[in-house]
Amino acid sequence: MIDALSLALEARPYSMDRDARERTLLSGLNELTLRHYANCEPYRRIIDGAWGGKTRFDTIEDVPYLPVSIFKTQKLQSVPDSEVRVTLTSSGTTGQAVSRIALDSDASLIQQRALANSLMHVLGKQRLPMLVIDTDAVFKDPRMMSARGAGVLGIMRYGRNHTFALDQRLEPNFEAVGSFLETVKDAPFFMFGFTFMVWLNFYEKFRDAGLDLSRGVLIHSGGWKKMVERSVDNATFRKAIGDAFKLTRIHNFYGMVEQIGSIFLEGPGGLLFPPNFATVIIRDPVTWRPAEIGQPGVVQVLSLLPSSYPGHSLLTEDMGVIEAIDSGEDGWMGKGVRILGRVPKSELRGCSDVIAAGS
Amino acid sequence: MTNVIWEPEKTTADDTTLLERIAAMSFAGREPFAPPLMEMLGAISQTLLNAPLARRAPQYVALGYWLRPAAIKRMRDQLLIRAQKGSFLLTPRGIALHLPPSNVDTIFVYSWSLSVLAGNANVVRLAATLSSDVQWLVGLVAKIVEEYGEAERQLFCSYPYGGEFEWSVSRHCDLRMIWGGDAKVDAVSRTPIRPDGLSIGFPDRKSLAMICVASYAASTEEQRDELAARLYNDIYWFDQMGCSSPRVIVWVGERLKALSIDLQGRLIKVIRAKNYSVETGVAMGKFSLANDLLAEAHADRIRPVSNELCLVEVVNAGECLERTHGGGFLGEVFLSDITEVASFVTRKVQTVTHFGFDVDQLNRLASSIMSRGGYRIVPIGQALQFDADWDGVALFTHMTRRIIIRAE
Repeated sequence: MIDALSLALEARPYSMDRDARERTLLSGLNELTLRHYANCEPYRRIIDGAWGGKTRFDTIEDVPYLPVSIFKTQKLQSVPDSEVRVTLTSSGTTGQAVSRIALDSDASLIQQRALANSLMHVLGKQRLPMLVIDTDAVFKDPRMMSARGAGVLGIMRYGRNHTFALDQRLEPNFEAVGSFLETVKDAPFFMFGFTFMVWLNFYEKFRDAGLDLSRGVLIHSGGWKKMVERSVDNATFRKAIGDAFKLTRIHNFYGMVEQIGSIFLEGPGGLLFPPNFATVIIRDPVTWRPAEIGQPGVVQVLSLLPSSYPGHSLLTEDMGVIEAIDSGEDGWMGKGVRILGRVPKSELRGCSDVIAAGS
Repeated sequence: MTNVIWEPEKTTADDTTLLERIAAMSFAGREPFAPPLMEMLGAISQTLLNAPLARRAPQYVALGYWLRPAAIKRMRDQLLIRAQKGSFLLTPRGIALHLPPSNVDTIFVYSWSLSVLAGNANVVRLAATLSSDVQWLVGLVAKIVEEYGEAERQLFCSYPYGGEFEWSVSRHCDLRMIWGGDAKVDAVSRTPIRPDGLSIGFPDRKSLAMICVASYAASTEEQRDELAARLYNDIYWFDQMGCSSPRVIVWVGERLKALSIDLQGRLIKVIRAKNYSVETGVAMGKFSLANDLLAEAHADRIRPVSNELCLVEVVNAGECLERTHGGGFLGEVFLSDITEVASFVTRKVQTVTHFGFDVDQLNRLASSIMSRGGYRIVPIGQALQFDADWDGVALFTHMTRRIIIRAE
């Protein structure tokens, strides 16, 4: 593990202010840029061809970034194939290319440790009984095995005595949820699910069941597209769930397989906070220079975790805005970002028709 | 069934072998009417005429006569002068079906009007949903057609592809013009038209621009600005998505990067003056493609100037032509001679626009790409000008038919 990362993991989660964090990150990011430059040929060609071959920078804003989509088109890794322990793939719409992320055993262990460090901030140090807002078929049934299944499995590591709130058909399992709540009694517990499933398959089905989830901590993630279609934003989501279940400790998170283990967790005001070993830069979509606080732009994510592939600095396809820096509220430091949605896909169409598109 | 190749003995060949043989012939074409080919035909003629079999098989005699050197020479002369006056009557083909692309909105008028001149009755199949501009254009054309009492012979319509109706319509057509992409040409071509009909596809094409380094170096400020303005039109009018819009700029001559940077600066000025801008998604798509080309070693440097222009110094110009993005993504390559461009010209290459070359050089260029591809060599600024000879097809000729008349 690189020194900067050890330093960031030793500090209390989400506690590093911007200055301390960026000093630590800069040395770590420079180290990673150099490592990937030396060990990943296509990355080296990109740095040579687009960034003047430089690998050492004076500010984190200057660190080269790759388009996140590049993991769909290129095989980028900085370790030999023989050392790849697991290759992660992104969830993609059917028929679309998926990202492929190669982790060696180091990277794999470190990302788990880093994720535990982040979750500890809202779950405490003990592993809690866990209610999974999904079905166990999502990882038991090979036909359903997917990025969702991998995501559920990945998070289950941080809870114990798992109960699944949904059956195989994604219908509510009232019995299982009832006996789970009886068993945990007044003790705190952990809930996890993908945002749209928490809404569609849990909230909408259980809201009249008179459940008291006030001792629970809900962590949820996943795209907001299906939620936006139903006009449900984060505030609506929180209020509805609070009203129905007395559940108020709710944390959304923003993360992507291309920076696995690095999650921006929801803190005060519904803002998302990068962990100590990561940060975010919002870039103006015309000049591509860092945007001012409050000015929306394209989200760039930086993290010290990607050591086996050059994913430490990525330009995402999301729009976002930084609304707070080092607010310190409830102990959350660093940049607080709001994700505004995807950069609109724009289609340029010329002579070439696609009949299937209904032309 | 086994494949057979006569070489000259009858030999069987598996699929791979046969395919490889055919693939190897892709760029082996030669100049039409090349003397050795004519001599070869003359030899066939003589053999046929001397064969004992020919005495009881008149079809071979006819073929032999037809292939006589004197006959071939006469045919060549006639074809080469492309005589308009001759012993034939030029006639319409009949019903022409036009399938224009959904987004380059004027092609349907070009295609249709040429066919009108040819005397055909026309069916123009348009997309179910049209932009407001296209709706206006169709409305205007159809109104005038009506006023001139032509409505029964000129039909502008829309129907779904792939259904029974398409099949029925197509079976009436003597001519079908399919504009718009490989996939569309493939899909539409599965539906037959009349057995004696003619179906012409205009599939995906890519284009490039060539600039003579010496001429550019010698040109004045005004000439350079004017070139940039013309280049802007070629590239940006249809967001660089027209088949004829250049995707790669080829500099021919000494490797003077300063000139390229000079032209790039002037192009940026035109882009700003015209207020052309692309959406964030387009800019990011170009950034992604540039990264891909670098990662795959098809390019060695990118010069992103603004969201509207991403310039990539390419190693593999052919790959850059294939993998283009649109909205201002240009590959750039330096060659020492104009004919070197042939190495990456394929059937897919349509228009070569040029600046600063004399006609001899352009003729050398045409000869060098003859067996490979390329259909138009026109000055920079004329890339998007429609021509009655398109994609190598003399449209008018194909839209007509000839009744041969021989008097006694």
